[in-house]
Amino acid sequence: MIQHDIDIDGLIAAWAPDPSELSVNVDQVSHYYGEGDTRKQVLFQNELKIRRGEIVIMTGPSGSGKTTLLTLVGTLRSVQEGSLKVLDTELNGISPADTTMLRKKTGFIFQAHNLFESLTAFQNVKMSTELLGYKSADIKPKIEATLSRLGLGERIHYKPKSLSGGQKQRVAIARGIIHQPDLILADEPTAALDAESGREVVTIFQEMAQQHGCTILIVTHDNRILDVADRIVSMVDGNIRSSVLVKWNSAMCQILNEFQIFRSLTPQSISQVADMMELKKYQPGDEIVSQGEMGDEFFVIGKGAVDIEVDDKKVNTLEEGAFFGEVSLIKEQPRNATVRAKTEVACFVLSKEEFQSVIDSSTTFEEELRKAIFSRQ
Amino acid sequence: MTHDPRKLLLAITGIAFAVVLMFQQRGFNHALFDSTVAVVQELDADLILYNPSRFALSSEVRFKRDALDVAASTAGVESARPLYLENLFARMRVEGRRARPIRVLGVDLDQNVLLDGDGEILPQFDSLRSPHTALMDRLSKKNYGIELSATAMPQTAELTGKRIDIVGLFQSGRDFAHDGNLIMSLSNFSNYFGYRAADPLSVVDLGVVKVAANQPADSVAIELQEKLGEGVVVLTKQQFVQKEIDFWARNTPIGVIFAIGAVMGFVVGVIICYQILANDITEHLGEFATLKAMGYGNSYFFGLVIKQAVYLSLLGFLPGLICAWLLFRINVSFTGLLMQLSWDRVLFIFALTLVMCVVSGLLALRKLLAADPASLF
Repeated sequence: MIQHDIDIDGLIAAWAPDPSELSVNVDQVSHYYGEGDTRKQVLFQNELKIRRGEIVIMTGPSGSGKTTLLTLVGTLRSVQEGSLKVLDTELNGISPADTTMLRKKTGFIFQAHNLFESLTAFQNVKMSTELLGYKSADIKPKIEATLSRLGLGERIHYKPKSLSGGQKQRVAIARGIIHQPDLILADEPTAALDAESGREVVTIFQEMAQQHGCTILIVTHDNRILDVADRIVSMVDGNIRSSVLVKWNSAMCQILNEFQIFRSLTPQSISQVADMMELKKYQPGDEIVSQGEMGDEFFVIGKGAVDIEVDDKKVNTLEEGAFFGEVSLIKEQPRNATVRAKTEVACFVLSKEEFQSVIDSSTTFEEELRKAIFSRQ
Repeated sequence: MTHDPRKLLLAITGIAFAVVLMFQQRGFNHALFDSTVAVVQELDADLILYNPSRFALSSEVRFKRDALDVAASTAGVESARPLYLENLFARMRVEGRRARPIRVLGVDLDQNVLLDGDGEILPQFDSLRSPHTALMDRLSKKNYGIELSATAMPQTAELTGKRIDIVGLFQSGRDFAHDGNLIMSLSNFSNYFGYRAADPLSVVDLGVVKVAANQPADSVAIELQEKLGEGVVVLTKQQFVQKEIDFWARNTPIGVIFAIGAVMGFVVGVIICYQILANDITEHLGEFATLKAMGYGNSYFFGLVIKQAVYLSLLGFLPGLICAWLLFRINVSFTGLLMQLSWDRVLFIFALTLVMCVVSGLLALRKLLAADPASLF
C-alpha cells in the first residue's frame, strides 16, 4: 500500500479532459513558411490540448516553432494543415467575422511590445477595451489600478518614448489583460522585467486563470516563472517533444519513489518514467490482467477496488494505493492471477517497453552530475 | 501622420499638385468651349436662327434677312433682330505690320442685341455712329499692333483696305478660331463688307429672337420652325450653345485631348496619393497589426483610411484651388481664353480629388487587409 496525499480526482480529470473543457485543441497541425522552392515546414503534426484555466509554458530553442504555434492559436496566422480549435471555434477555414470575434476574446502580449507611439500608456491600454464597448468611465479605474499594480502608477500618462523597455513591456501586459480575455497569449512577457515585476506579472496571470478561468499560453525562456505552469510544453524543431502536466508528473514521481526498483534512478529519469505513466479506466467486471498471459505492465490503483482471482477463485481484494504486476517490469513470466475490477477503477499504468526505453536511454548518475554542475550558474 | 508635419506638408503638396493639374486640363477644356460660345452668350436672345449648313459659328453660311421679318410677325415673338459676323475676309492691318484676320460683329445700334452685362458697350454706341469707327476687344491678340488700353484710344488702323478708327474697348475674349473681335454699326459694316451681297445687310449670320413674356421658348421655337421651313433652323439659345460645344467636342480632337489631360492629372494624383498613404501604412504596419490582433476588423481600417483620404483631399484641395485660381488669372492674361472657376466645376474637381484620394487609399489598404497580423510584425 502506498501512502500519498495526491488529489486523485483532480488528476483523473486533468488526464483526460472532457472536450468541452478544452480551451485550445491542437490536432495534427503542420505549418509551412514560404512558397515553391523556398517552402519550409516549421511545424510537424503537433498535438496539444489545453484545459480552460490552465497556464501553459512553452519552451524550446529559438526557431523551434513556439511563436509560430502561438500566433496560430491567436488567429494571427492562418492554419494551413490540421485542426486547431480555440474556445470552441475551428480555426482552419475560419471566417473573418469569427476571426475578429476570437481576437477580441484574446489578450496578446507581444515580444515587441508594439505600443502606439502617439498615445499615452493609459490610452494604449484603453485601446483594447474600446472595441468591447466598455464605457470610458467604467474602465478608467480598472486601467489605473492595473497600471499601478504593475508599478506604473506614476507614469500612467507618459508616452512610450519616455518609458524604459521594462515599463513599455508592462504597459503591453496591462493592455493584453485589461479586457478580461478568455485566452492570454504571451511571447516572452517577462524578458525585459526584473525579478520583482516579473513575479507580479505571473501572479496576475495566476489570478486570472484561477478566478476567471482564463487560459494562458506563455512562450518563454525565463525559468524564474516555471513554477506557475500547470503544463510545460517543450518544442524542438517544430515538434512538441514533451507536454508535461506538472501536477501529473509530480504525483507520479511521488508514487514511483515508493518502489525500490525506481530508487536507483536519478530524479530526471524518474521524471521521465513518470511521463510514461498512463491512466487507464475500467468498469466493474473488466479483466485487468488475465492469469497465464505474459505480463508486460505495472499497475497502481488510483481509485476503486479490484478482486484477485487464482484459478477462478477470489483470493484477495485490493484497494486504492495498492499495486500489482511490478515483477513484470524486470522479469518475463506469465501472470499468476487474474485481476478483475470490482468497482469503477482508475489505474496508473507503466508498460515494460516504455520503462525499458527510459532506462536504456538514461544517462549514468555521474554523467548527470557533470551536466548539473556544468549548467549551474 | 499628423505628428510628422513635414510628411503632412509633402502629402498636401502632392495632392495640391494633382488638383492644379486637373484644374488646368479641365480649365483649358472649358475655356475652349466657353470662349467659342462667348459671343452667343453675350446675345440678348431666347431663340437663335441660323442656316442649317452653318456647322459651326466660324463657318460663314448665312440666310436671307426676309426670314427675320417672317419670324417677327409670328405669334409669341417679341422681336427678331440680325447679328452680322465677318471673320475670313475681315483683315485688320496697323501700319508697319502684317494684315491679320479679325472677327467683326455688326450690330444695329438702335435695336441692340447685346446683353452687355458690364454696361461697357452701350454707352459707347454713340461714338460708333460716326463712319469708320469700331470698338475692339481688349482681350484680342497683342500682335495686331493696337495698344489695348482706354487711355490710348482712339487709334487708327486699316480694315479690308479702308481706314478704321478704334474708338473704344469692350471685353469678350478670343478662341481657337478667332484672334480678336471688333464691334461696329450696321452702316459701317455694310461699308467694309460690301462683297457679302448687293445689299450687304440682306444676308444675316444669326437671328436673335426674343419671345414675348410668358411665352415658353420651346413651343415658340417649334411654331417658328414650322413657319420658316427648312432654310433656317430655330434653336433655343441654350441648345445653340450646346450644339456649338458638341461640334468642338466631337468633331475635333480637342475635347479628347483635354479629357486625356484631366485623366492624366487624376492618375498622377492617384499615384502620388497612393505613394503617400502606402508609405504611411507601411511605417505603421506594426501598430496596424497590433490593432488587427486586438480584433479591430477590416471595416475599422476601411473607415480609418477613408477618413484620412477625406482629410487629405480637403487639405490638398484648398491650396490646389488657390494655385489653380492664380494660374487661371495668369492664363487669361496670356491667352485671352475665358478661364472660369464656376461652382459646379470646382465641385466636380473636388469630387475627383475625393475619389482620387479614396481610390489610392483603398489601393494602399489592400495589402493590410489581406495580411495575417503575424506577418506584419
